[in-house]
Amino acid sequence: MTLRADHIAGAFFVGFGLLVIALSGDLPTGTLSLPGSGFMPKIVAGLTIFFGLVLALRARESREFVTLPWGDAKHAALVVAITAAAIALFERLGFLTTNVLLIFALLAIIERRRILPAAIYSLGVVLITYILFVYVLKTPLEAGPFGF
Amino acid sequence: METTLHSLYLGFSVALAPANAWYAFLGCLVGTLVGVLPGIGPLAGISILLPVTFGLNATQAIIMLAGIYYGSQYGGSTTSILMRIPGEASSVMTCIDGYAMAKKGRAGAALCIAAVGSWIGGSFGVLVLTVVAPPLATLAIRFGPPEYTALLVLGLIFLAYMSSSSLIRTLLMACLGLLLGMIGIDNMTGHFRYSFDLAELGDGIGIVPVAVGLFGLGEILSTPSADAVKEIISPRLRDLLPTRKEWREAALPIGRGTLLGFIIGIIPGSAHIISSFLSYALEKRVSKHPEQFGKGAVAGVAGPETANNAASTGAFVPLLALGIPTSPITAVLIGALMIHGVSVGPTLVNEHPDVFWGFVASMYVGNIMLLALNLPLVSVFVTVLRIPYAYLYPLIIMFCIIGVYEVNNSIVDVWIMLIMGVVGYALRKFDFDPAPLVLGLVISPILEQSLRQSLIMSNGNYLIFFSRPISAGLMAVSIGLLLLAAYAFMLKRADWRAKLAEAEAGEAEP
Repeated sequence: MTLRADHIAGAFFVGFGLLVIALSGDLPTGTLSLPGSGFMPKIVAGLTIFFGLVLALRARESREFVTLPWGDAKHAALVVAITAAAIALFERLGFLTTNVLLIFALLAIIERRRILPAAIYSLGVVLITYILFVYVLKTPLEAGPFGF
Repeated sequence: METTLHSLYLGFSVALAPANAWYAFLGCLVGTLVGVLPGIGPLAGISILLPVTFGLNATQAIIMLAGIYYGSQYGGSTTSILMRIPGEASSVMTCIDGYAMAKKGRAGAALCIAAVGSWIGGSFGVLVLTVVAPPLATLAIRFGPPEYTALLVLGLIFLAYMSSSSLIRTLLMACLGLLLGMIGIDNMTGHFRYSFDLAELGDGIGIVPVAVGLFGLGEILSTPSADAVKEIISPRLRDLLPTRKEWREAALPIGRGTLLGFIIGIIPGSAHIISSFLSYALEKRVSKHPEQFGKGAVAGVAGPETANNAASTGAFVPLLALGIPTSPITAVLIGALMIHGVSVGPTLVNEHPDVFWGFVASMYVGNIMLLALNLPLVSVFVTVLRIPYAYLYPLIIMFCIIGVYEVNNSIVDVWIMLIMGVVGYALRKFDFDPAPLVLGLVISPILEQSLRQSLIMSNGNYLIFFSRPISAGLMAVSIGLLLLAAYAFMLKRADWRAKLAEAEAGEAEP
């Protein structure tokens, strides 16, 4: 049997539905006349499992799994890693420092831009954004250890 | 009628106040930019800019955010016509014939027809909204939990039925959204659900982090900058006016798109996207020269562009009259009003007439502003498209982080956005459309509450949905749509939706 994209997707949704039902163990289902907090989640999880099964059973209409294009995966993984680092630092370093580092890292590491233009661009756009939000739109942004 | 005119006068006095008109202009300008730039759709644009409105009053906030919404519908056509990239999802159909017209040297005419069609569609929508919304709000006071349940079920089924991809895929996305919407404290019993002892999840997962993650970040993850280089056709200002023949060819599609778009806009679902797809199919069907579609047919630009703007306005009818978010975008707008202490629903028109009528009147003003903005300034917007994508997407990521963080000052929300970005990337790989997921998340709390209240009211009897005239009518339409879908499936026959999807796939090939 050829493994197809919808086999994987269908299996994921079946698994997800089962996980939701397992996690709903302590939620009371209630009765039809007085539904509990577990009533709706279990119905929707059941539907997710059903639709997941239908998707997997009709998988031959979908593409072969090996033919899915993953050429952009490296770019995506790098963007996710740099953004995750920025989020982790956001409340510690504040808006200005974190975002200068974020944009600089994206330009220098992923886009391979020259260091100086990347640094000037990062600093410039973040400063403009800071002034726009804080002074023009009066929307305070997260401050870092140096007060900005 | 006299009362409506008097109220509209009040609305114009609010909308034309210099500060409010300025925010309408700002919203339209930003909306056009949001529509022009590939990668940020109206939903991400509105979500990101939501914190900017915190310093404004409720009227100014809704005027500006709505301006972004319908402005993006206008702006989306520019990228579609000049670059063959849909600036946002509802402009997909415009790519086909708009770009073909541009290749023939008629880019200016295509842009003009799109702008005029959008203006007519939008203005007609506002006109009907003015007349229909107040009486509908009176009727809506009779809506109880069964009616709300039936309307929301119809919205989900309609979205699945109209989807040009697969019914099962759409329903799966909606289920996923409904489940995400159940995270947090259960309003009726106080139970914590799936919050894993995280206090931040007690209030549930917000629409903004999910929407920005799926549509903003997800799009960026799927678009390496090397792939984002596209040829841009620059229109000349003197070529902006269409010929008499082109106007004639556009007139009827604009009329049909206006009616079709508005009607679809009223029904819950991603109306502006569905309406443009349906309008394209309709125009192709009624055309005497269907073979010209895909090769620069004027009707292929005029119909869908008009329909998506009429639908955007139509979507405000259930929002303002019933308080029901018919799409993720209108849900964010409801959220914006709630932040300002205004609850949306049938009582809005009486309790906050300045907000309601000011907003309606601002849409008349906004549509004229957009017409004035989009035609003469098209070359300015084209310049924006020349910014290399490699420099643009880091900025968008920064705005995604600010936009999400500023709503609740919660870093957990930003992490959720990142996770949703990865989910959005994976969904695109497996050909799932994330829009129904966000719609499911939006309507989940209302649907669950109204379903459970209905069952409590009827002592557990499901027939309550069929024993009340409004809910019975809505349920009958839902069942009819399901039967139609099942009929096509059992006969293994390609119905009009499948044929449309095939046509799109074929014509979208470069």
